[in-house]
Amino acid sequence: MARYGMALDYKNCINCKACEVACKEENGVELGAEKHRIWVGGNNPDGQWPLLDIASAAFMPSQCQHCEDAPCQEVCPTNATYYDENHVVRVDSDKCILCSYCMNACPYDARYVDDRTMTVDKCTFCSDTRLARGETTTACQNTCPTKVRTFGDLDDPNSEISELLRTRDHFSLKAHLGTNPKLFYLT
Amino acid sequence: MQVEMSRRRFLQGGVAMSVVGGTTFSATNLFASHEESHGSVPTTITTKTSTGEAKEVPILCGMCVNKCAAFARVEDGVITKLNPNPYFPKSRNMLCPRGNAGIQTTYDPDRLKYPMIRIGKRGDGKYKRVTWDEAYDAIVNGTDKFKGLKQILDEEKDNRATVGYANGEGLSKEGFEVLIGQKMGTPNYVDEVSICLETAGGGFFSTIGTYPEIDFEHADYQIIAGANRAEAIITPDTMDMFKYTKGRGLKTICIDPRFTNTAAKSDKWLPINPGTDLAFVLALTWVVFKENLQNEKFMEKHGVGYEEYKQHILSHKYTPEWAEPICGIKAKEIYTIAREFMDAESPIYYPGRRSVFSPNDYQLRRAMAIFQALSGNMDKKGGYIFGNRGLLPAEYVKQPIYENTKERFDTEGIAFPTLKSGSWIVFRNMVLEGKNPYPVRAMLMRKHNPMMSVPNTTKTRAFLEKMDLNVVIDILPTDTAMLADVILPEASYLERMSPVKSYGFLEPSVVMRKAAIEPLFETKTPEVIFKELGEKLSKPLFEVSKKHDVALQELIKEKGEKVAFEEGGYNLAEPFEKPIEERNEEVITEVFGKKAWETINEKGVYYPHMEEYHKQLSPNDFQYYPKNKRKYTSRGDSLKIVCKNDSLTSGGIDAMPTWDDAWKFSVPKGEFRLITGRHAQFTQSGTQNNMMLRDLIPTNFVWINQREADKMGIKFGEKVEIKSDIGAIVLKAYPTEKIAPNQIFLLHGFGSESNGMEFAYGNGGNDATIIKDDIEPMYGASVMHSTNCKIRKV
Repeated sequence: MARYGMALDYKNCINCKACEVACKEENGVELGAEKHRIWVGGNNPDGQWPLLDIASAAFMPSQCQHCEDAPCQEVCPTNATYYDENHVVRVDSDKCILCSYCMNACPYDARYVDDRTMTVDKCTFCSDTRLARGETTTACQNTCPTKVRTFGDLDDPNSEISELLRTRDHFSLKAHLGTNPKLFYLT
Repeated sequence: MQVEMSRRRFLQGGVAMSVVGGTTFSATNLFASHEESHGSVPTTITTKTSTGEAKEVPILCGMCVNKCAAFARVEDGVITKLNPNPYFPKSRNMLCPRGNAGIQTTYDPDRLKYPMIRIGKRGDGKYKRVTWDEAYDAIVNGTDKFKGLKQILDEEKDNRATVGYANGEGLSKEGFEVLIGQKMGTPNYVDEVSICLETAGGGFFSTIGTYPEIDFEHADYQIIAGANRAEAIITPDTMDMFKYTKGRGLKTICIDPRFTNTAAKSDKWLPINPGTDLAFVLALTWVVFKENLQNEKFMEKHGVGYEEYKQHILSHKYTPEWAEPICGIKAKEIYTIAREFMDAESPIYYPGRRSVFSPNDYQLRRAMAIFQALSGNMDKKGGYIFGNRGLLPAEYVKQPIYENTKERFDTEGIAFPTLKSGSWIVFRNMVLEGKNPYPVRAMLMRKHNPMMSVPNTTKTRAFLEKMDLNVVIDILPTDTAMLADVILPEASYLERMSPVKSYGFLEPSVVMRKAAIEPLFETKTPEVIFKELGEKLSKPLFEVSKKHDVALQELIKEKGEKVAFEEGGYNLAEPFEKPIEERNEEVITEVFGKKAWETINEKGVYYPHMEEYHKQLSPNDFQYYPKNKRKYTSRGDSLKIVCKNDSLTSGGIDAMPTWDDAWKFSVPKGEFRLITGRHAQFTQSGTQNNMMLRDLIPTNFVWINQREADKMGIKFGEKVEIKSDIGAIVLKAYPTEKIAPNQIFLLHGFGSESNGMEFAYGNGGNDATIIKDDIEPMYGASVMHSTNCKIRKV
């Protein structure tokens, strides 16, 4: 039993997308540019050449935020979306009827349709691959060239992530929606 | 081309992939073109890792030049995942997107699967599947369609130089150089160096004696100019650098015509006119001398021609005001940067390994190295690191002497030609223009795709078409392979053990790539190919030498044929007789002992005291060497900073970096300067058929300034023709403010014309077809940023 979360030292991110590829290979995610569990968001810088605003061009790695109060789970009519024993938001593809309520409810756009199984798919924190084998990192954390991510148990005061959240300022995405994400962006 | 089965079926998930071992492809489907599913994206080719049994095999990534260490997870004979190897200091426990996507390269359905020989006309794609023996025989003896090496060398009276060869970067490259260069005896070798970073290496080497490593951990200021480490990943620089940017210790000034991802991670981005970095560095240097900011003691001790350089800079009045109109960077910015740099505790002018962009690149590198030295931050913690040499000794090869072999000739317009790998452009062009003193009649090419990598594809095609024999050893049917007479399919990097490789500098180590799986289809590992080809060539080519080589005839008279053959080194296969597994074991055991072999065999990495030094510090961080075991200073008093190099003038090269107004940047009205560069998700033309990476970079868009695009009515994704003096390509437009109004940018490595590669074929445009084949004067390396283009909406 754990309460898994992830801290992202997003200023390290160089938008190389190693995380996205590692995730796809580890978890057998369907190929296709629109099919991804994690991604890196970025904007073109504000301004006109040669005066461009560097701060506006930050890279923001994103994915399912594994909300404590997940709108996707609330709206699912078949309970296909559920919390597993480690508080990870999961999808039971046997129960999913592809009504896509969850996709509309998710404020983070973290869900997509797997055309092979015709169900909704999303990040699992590698629960059924790496974690199931006893590994302690997700594929995205492990591969990251600049080590943006730290995955761990928020309930374990001695975990690296707990330490990071104690000592570093951080924020959550769309905190005002009351979803209580378990992804934390370190500043 | 006949279609045998759809990609979809071939790739049907999971362990079913293990069937690729042999029987699923028919003989007629030589290039597996999959026209039936052309343009569609397969539903799955990723394999979810299981919780069952798996082997973890140490490998070295082969997707680019860096050679990151990884472990291949192999389940039931199928590679399901590549994970970073935490033992290798250089790759810092990471794998980039290309590294992760390496699985797709090995399982690419368009792989070359069998040896083939040409049965149609060159370039029409008609090949016959043959056995390895038949393919080797065709190389030696030819067929009714083309001549073999034996006949060519006999006709050329054993002038081995009439056979040229090429090999792109990689761990087995040296083996090919040994086989074709040292053993078969031709000096005419071309490789990636003269179309890549030759002047960067040469400039730094000749000025400070090395191409340095950087200690980012202790640096506090950097100028990164014309280098894009966020996208053109170099290990360990990329991982080390961006830990400290953005207000975390390493103030970063990015100088680049484009707003790159590196610019996005910097404190300041200053777009510079292409090709004018030298003026920028000279102006920085002027400020330093004018305001006396340099570490005078350091320069007095280590500088060669230092006083003259100072006078040279001051007397030429390389002021920031002078540089401003040339570079397009405000004078006051140049003053600020020069002062901040010299004021910093550990400043770095990043050496910036990359292609040659401008004709002054050699002098630019010299000026950069000297500017760095002015801070005194060299050969010490936080600075340029010289560190340790590699840990392994060089191997000895018994090299035959071929009396009738001529020297290489590609020296026209070059001050200091490099004997080993020459100049691709000068070599090719002299042959095309008939300026070669003897014919070049064959090209043996391994892991190299000059049709896409050497500027001016039209000329490269004409050059290859001129040959009596083209042989290609590769893993995919590249544009170059389509001009081959004999194609030998090689095992991909995940299917082979490679020669051990050692790295020096701050944290030296030796690494080894093992085979994660057996070679697929009928492919063979490079070392096996070298051995077999060597065996097939030895006797027939020895006969040619016997006929024409007087010195050999005398040796035979004196010692008998058998002894002459063996002692003379004419057994070309001799360096490859021991399998690579044995050779690796031997060399590691000999240098480090038996235990080291066990370690490297299991972990893929070895260095002395590894067990003691290597520690996991946190889930993300490892220690490879404790700080007190890192050699931050190694040159000491012997360090020389060659400010003035009089020997250069014999070749017409300035002894000191000097600006020439001919290098000023200008673009005719209505035209655009073409600049090239990299993305983190692509390696040159080598990854263009990788379906995973294609999801990330679907094609090479042309960047065009947003306001220019608006004026021309060009919107995102619309097709535009880009036309230079030598060719035209059509690309989709990406209007953006990240580029200047008079420049365009496009990514290299797209636009394959080989219909043997389903995804690469016809996707985007090949920049080599429009980039002019200009060279710089020092080594004849190709200059990539000198082409102007016209654009129109199509």
